[in-house]
Amino acid sequence: MVVPVMFGVTILVFMMMHITPADPALLMLGERATQEELDKLRQEMGLNKPLPVQYANFVINAAKGDLGKSIRSNRPVAKEIGDRMPSTIKLATVAMLVAAGIGVLVGVVSAVRPNTALDNTATSVALLGVATPNFWMGLMLQILFAVKLGWLPASGSDGASSIILPAIALGTGSAAIILRMTRSAMLEVIKMDYIRTARSKGLAERVVIYRHALRNALVPVITVIGLVFGGLLGGAVITEAVFSWPGVGGFMVDSIRAKDLTVVQGAVLMLAVMAALVNLGVDLIYAIIDPRIRAQYSK
Amino acid sequence: MRKLMSALLAATMLFAAGCGTKTEAPKTEAPKTDAQAPATPKPFSLVIAQGADIVSLDPHKANDQPSSRVTRQIYDTLIDQDEKLQLKPGLATEWKQIDEKTWEFKLRKDVKFHNGETLKASDVKFTFERLIDPATKAPGAFIMGQLAKVEVVDDNTFRLVTKAPFAPILAHLAHTATSILNEKAVKEAGDKYAEKPVGTGPFKFVSWTTGSHVDLARFDAYWGEKAKADTVKFRAIKEGSTRAIELETGAVDIVYGLEPQDYERMKAENKVQLLRDKTLSTNYIGFNVQKAPFDKVEVRQAINHALNVDEIVQHVLLNIGEKATSPISKLVWGANTELKGYEYNQAKAKELLAKAGLPNGFKTTIWTNDNPTRMKIAEVVQSQLKKIGIDVTIEVVEWGKYLADTADGKHDMFILGWVTVTGDADYGLYSLFHSSQFGSPGNRTRYKNEKVDQLLDKGRTSGNATERMAAYKEAQQLILNDAPWLFLNTGEEVNGLKKGITGFVAHPAGHHRVKNIVKQ
Repeated sequence: MVVPVMFGVTILVFMMMHITPADPALLMLGERATQEELDKLRQEMGLNKPLPVQYANFVINAAKGDLGKSIRSNRPVAKEIGDRMPSTIKLATVAMLVAAGIGVLVGVVSAVRPNTALDNTATSVALLGVATPNFWMGLMLQILFAVKLGWLPASGSDGASSIILPAIALGTGSAAIILRMTRSAMLEVIKMDYIRTARSKGLAERVVIYRHALRNALVPVITVIGLVFGGLLGGAVITEAVFSWPGVGGFMVDSIRAKDLTVVQGAVLMLAVMAALVNLGVDLIYAIIDPRIRAQYSK
Repeated sequence: MRKLMSALLAATMLFAAGCGTKTEAPKTEAPKTDAQAPATPKPFSLVIAQGADIVSLDPHKANDQPSSRVTRQIYDTLIDQDEKLQLKPGLATEWKQIDEKTWEFKLRKDVKFHNGETLKASDVKFTFERLIDPATKAPGAFIMGQLAKVEVVDDNTFRLVTKAPFAPILAHLAHTATSILNEKAVKEAGDKYAEKPVGTGPFKFVSWTTGSHVDLARFDAYWGEKAKADTVKFRAIKEGSTRAIELETGAVDIVYGLEPQDYERMKAENKVQLLRDKTLSTNYIGFNVQKAPFDKVEVRQAINHALNVDEIVQHVLLNIGEKATSPISKLVWGANTELKGYEYNQAKAKELLAKAGLPNGFKTTIWTNDNPTRMKIAEVVQSQLKKIGIDVTIEVVEWGKYLADTADGKHDMFILGWVTVTGDADYGLYSLFHSSQFGSPGNRTRYKNEKVDQLLDKGRTSGNATERMAAYKEAQQLILNDAPWLFLNTGEEVNGLKKGITGFVAHPAGHHRVKNIVKQ
């Protein structure tokens, strides 16, 4: 499943980069390049070969771990992306924890007290989190916590505290979707017979909710968390820009604008691989938390 | 339930409190005491923010502004161009012209590179040969495009021979693209040289965290007056508003390039020092002089009169910049500062259009790339030209295609800019207005005036500075009259400094020297 997806994604990106008009050789050499210099560079970059050949070369080299060299900086693409990937993973992980933390906790609370003032407030606040533009939230956080209070750094990735503001700005956008999923999954589960049984056995309400109801409600919730994480890995571009966070997202956008074909192809491939791995991880987690699924596999 | 909420609240408070401290400034080591030096100043580090990350610290692999701003601190050039664009000895202490194509230079003695090697003439030869070698693909190679060869006379003497007489060469030798490299360091490192650059400059390279920052440290064996700061960190902060915020939080000491909105706001708050410095850039709208109706000089002049450039400077550029009265900034050596430019006069514009046989105006297009400022300028131009009957359609073209198609002459009008990086009129005029430079070298208007060609050739080849100056001044007058451009504005940069920072003097080319900056 993973392999066809990767082929599909990379072919799409490859086609898009080659169809749009601008010429990477011109962008590299600048305005003053002569026609001969441009032709020579295009020849060297292999841009004159037919598209299927260029794509095939890319795939063959990628399999060997060679993603080519960045057109702009002439450094290996794998290194350029590899340098920035840890920052992106760090930010996506902490943002996901923020989103999941808020989403699951508040989702559970909402489900336990459905349609009360608490439930409605919580849902509204979460929706606000989604509706608020990322950059605005980021700027507000910077102004409050960095400028006015001086508690946290406004930008950059130096020091442990620098991840807090960007993670909050990024995570709150996804908290609502996790909250809604948790809430509806919990509402379903709470109606189940076995919950009634657990209550009539005299178990403490907290045990009923967390050990029994939540655990069963988690399967769809984890799916959503996994999808959110996959999205955060590639999509943190705006947050990275506002907070000057040196991740892959912002780098990819710069590379797209500069028509740095090799970087864009390599980055998309890497992100597709990571998203696939995340999905794999989600499947494994199912097996851990849901004995029914574990049983399916052991058969 | 209540327990849950209070636990959550307590956890959040603890979390926020625990992560309270700002990132500390990097620790600096105690300065080495020197019996002859004055009382040791307190060690300090500088943090400077600019709008993009460097591309490379090998001056032969990058020629962009962010990279040049850092290479300026690590390397030296043969000739030093100060902030008033005066040429002074750098690594070369004296020079003389031997014949019209040959210059002889004396190299400064006992200059050390960061790796301990001593500077020799062979390093200069190696540097320039590598720069102009097509295999290096140096983006800055064109700066030494006129160089034919370098001859080493002895360890401290060498000669530069050009292909044709080239008077501006001294100004070119002050450009960061001609930074002098250490042959041994480059050869030993091979492909990986850019990861450990070695120069003779007042700061040495420490590390580069891609996408984030470059760290430099003072070089104590520098041949000149040592730098004041112990360490310098150049941070890449892409968003203008984030740069401004970091100046306000104090995390950054100096910001290069504040945006006009932030400038207005911070001016009122008066918590930081704000400096406005003129640059060597000029913005213009080019006509396609070979395409009707722009082949008629009356039409071009009419459009120049029809446009209220002061309005554009005020409303689009928020007063950062100045109306251009000539094709080059007033700071450039050779600029004709007496020219008055075109006055805003719609009546005159209509008169000129009638004279050209187009009393009812005409339809045309203006191209711009997706730069927001340029798009706004295009809109203002569109509305102003409508008043004299010229119907302009705006086309936003992607940058790569923009460069290619304007080079091919497919346009009617286009917005572009030019920076006279060497501070010498030859660079600001030759590529743009000489008829041998059509297309991507710079003359996208396809302007041709034989007298201008002659004057520009004279300016380029004459060894006499007074003659050069006169030729350029006359050329600018002719170009202004011929109006191959709608002259817009010359540039200005806003830089922000924390209070307590002294010693910062902006260089019009943008590569500001850091070594004399002091932080209280």
